[in-house]
Amino acid sequence: MGKSKKELSKKIVLPLLSTMLLSSSLVACSNSEKTSKESGKSESNNTISIMTTAYSPEPPGEDSPVFKELEKFMETDIKVNWVLNSSYSDKLNITLASGELPDIMMIPSKIPSFISAVEDGAFWELGPYLKDYPNLSQANEITLNNSSIGGKIYGIYRSRPLGRNGITFRKDWLENVGLKTPKTIDDFYNVLKAFTENDPDGNGKDDTYGMVVSKYTGPWDIMQTWFGAPNKWGEDADGNLQPDFMTEEYLNALKFFKKLYDEGLINEDFAVMDPLKWGDPLLNGQAGVIVDVVDRAHRAEEDMIAANPNLKEPIDVIGAVEGPTGLHNLPTSGYSGMLAIPKSSVKTEEELKKVLAFIDKLSEAEAQTLAYNGLEGRHYELKDGNLVELTENDEALINEFTDLNQFQTGIPENRFIQAEQTPLLEKEEIVKTENEEIVVPNPAEALVSEVYAQKGQQLDNIINDAKIKFIVGQIDEAGFKDAIELWRSTGGDDYIDEINQLYKEVN
Amino acid sequence: MSEKQTTTITKLQRLKRDRWLYLLLVPGILYFLIFKYAPMWGIVIAFQDYSPFKGVFGSEWVGFENFIDFFQNPDFFRLLRNTFILAVLDLVFFFPAPIILSLLLNELRINSYKRTVQTFIYVPHFMSWVIIASITYIFFTTSGGVMNEIVSYFYGKEINFLSSPEWFRPLIMGQIIWKETGWGTVIFLAALASVDQEQYEAAIVDGAGRFRRLWHVTLPAVRSTIVVLLILRLGNFLDTGFQQIFLMSNSLNRSVADVFDTYVYFVGITQGAYSYSTAVGLFKSVVGIILVLGANKLAKKLGQEGIF
Repeated sequence: MGKSKKELSKKIVLPLLSTMLLSSSLVACSNSEKTSKESGKSESNNTISIMTTAYSPEPPGEDSPVFKELEKFMETDIKVNWVLNSSYSDKLNITLASGELPDIMMIPSKIPSFISAVEDGAFWELGPYLKDYPNLSQANEITLNNSSIGGKIYGIYRSRPLGRNGITFRKDWLENVGLKTPKTIDDFYNVLKAFTENDPDGNGKDDTYGMVVSKYTGPWDIMQTWFGAPNKWGEDADGNLQPDFMTEEYLNALKFFKKLYDEGLINEDFAVMDPLKWGDPLLNGQAGVIVDVVDRAHRAEEDMIAANPNLKEPIDVIGAVEGPTGLHNLPTSGYSGMLAIPKSSVKTEEELKKVLAFIDKLSEAEAQTLAYNGLEGRHYELKDGNLVELTENDEALINEFTDLNQFQTGIPENRFIQAEQTPLLEKEEIVKTENEEIVVPNPAEALVSEVYAQKGQQLDNIINDAKIKFIVGQIDEAGFKDAIELWRSTGGDDYIDEINQLYKEVN
Repeated sequence: MSEKQTTTITKLQRLKRDRWLYLLLVPGILYFLIFKYAPMWGIVIAFQDYSPFKGVFGSEWVGFENFIDFFQNPDFFRLLRNTFILAVLDLVFFFPAPIILSLLLNELRINSYKRTVQTFIYVPHFMSWVIIASITYIFFTTSGGVMNEIVSYFYGKEINFLSSPEWFRPLIMGQIIWKETGWGTVIFLAALASVDQEQYEAAIVDGAGRFRRLWHVTLPAVRSTIVVLLILRLGNFLDTGFQQIFLMSNSLNRSVADVFDTYVYFVGITQGAYSYSTAVGLFKSVVGIILVLGANKLAKKLGQEGIF
């Protein structure tokens, strides 16, 4: 009797246990889901959830003293969903598709999936509310227009300088090869040639080249404006908009790029080079020039001096070089991403106003200082009014506040404590200001095309691929014309018609 | 008496007798219902103009429009060709690789050596495609890549492996074979281990050499395993995998690198055309199921065991 009971209990207990375990884990799952959903809502208490980018693999957690201080100042329980910048657009698109959205969502640009979400009414239109807030009401009109969708604001831009692009180059190499700072495209070409052939680092080896380019097409886009090509869209003789790649100037620029490639003045593997490795050849003395945002100059210089303290001011920066039609440069759109507010998580106008007040308050000097500088006495101190950083290569300390600026708008201005200006930093500021005089605006920046939202990726791929193929010599001029024809038949013609129609409505 | 009892036992009684076994089955069934079958009804969005913010019930029905759009798309034949070529190459070059490797391993005499080799060849399977793509880049790049150093030594000039369309497919095949061949031997080695040793002994007595034994004893013993795995593989015929292709494609080789999986990503995820890309995915699955059913029938006709 006793034995059979024992056996029976054995028989029962095991399966029972396993089912219990399973069901309890299921319950646990649904529980945690519930709590996370609740914390996503803002009305329950003073909680605001944010999804934004992180550049550091370890962005500040809730135990960071700076984060706590920021929450105290904002009088809000802040929940940040950090997503690494490199995978942000994927994560964003998946989150958009899921429909489970945070209160504030950083949108990196007017990507098609965001536009279609806006068309489905998923986001609040913020334009009419901005005037009610002391900081947001001072937003820059041009940048607002650039970040708008057909003139309507669905996200508050994160401000960036308009004239941010430039040429960063090795100043010491330039002296070694006996050349002056380039003024024209020809000068620029000569510099690249000398950097490749005249042993600029003086080590007696043929181990340098002119300019490093990566898979990222930014540098080509910047350089083609030097030749007078428009920024994405330009007016033709009849005043209609046409895409930049249909212009003569664009083709001239392409031929120049091909010459650089053929003569080995740029890295041969650029078409497959990971943009993350883009800066390496400059830092380790293989390449002498990089065309990118001007801030790259001081970042490169700091890294190079850290690696080799013997170097003295190795880097210089300029905005652009003169082409056949004068000085031109590519502007940024004046913003880098925007903070959008989904209707599914922020349900009422009252809640919306609370979230907007939150974003507005983030621009106060206290909040900005926390986000950019950290805590006084821990991360920085002030000596005679100058900023002294205390974080000197201490990753753990830096990680307590780095990336907190990823939900800062900087509207109307930067109010955090600025570092003391080195000569190079001062020069960067000058270049940025000078750039604003010569930048080529994109007349269609604010226009939102239906065709582009549907086929933009394919259309862009056709032209970008053809451009790269032309540079490396896989196709010739006729081949490039074929690519344009393909672009037109894939929907490009509809795109042109639509943009022109929208353009006429606005102007 | 007792024998008669067991033969007349009813289904219900059997169910009662084995109730605990059946209870153990419940978690498995639940798993498939919840995680495999329930999400499947999401396929309906292939027949809608789906918007995540309106939901499945709020979105408009469009019938087969997404499919028609897809088949009429100028991209369709290019995608089909690229996907098909990669799939065929996969069957021809990758599928036999683990079989050959496990046959070779099976011939090894020293057991400790055999096990060590087995363990080592599993390792690449656990690396992510990102790592493998980086390794490939480092090896094959024209700026100081080891492969290109060797090539230029013998051939006189470097070859742009990473950016020429003609090298894309060999690279992809090479990567798959390098990564997965060792892991693929697991099943075959298990099948080989179950071969009756007496048959070998009998074959030796009959005077069969090594190759004869391999041909007449070993291969027939694993034939059914090979057929089953081949049929299962056909179910995923058009799956080229997204990550690997995506990581290896660039502006210069896109003409051969665009496949259904990357297309679904670009159109579905980056452009928000969820319905359209679901239709593409469904098309792939339908092709897969047709191939599986066809191959299964064929296998049975040829006197092999199918999978059902």
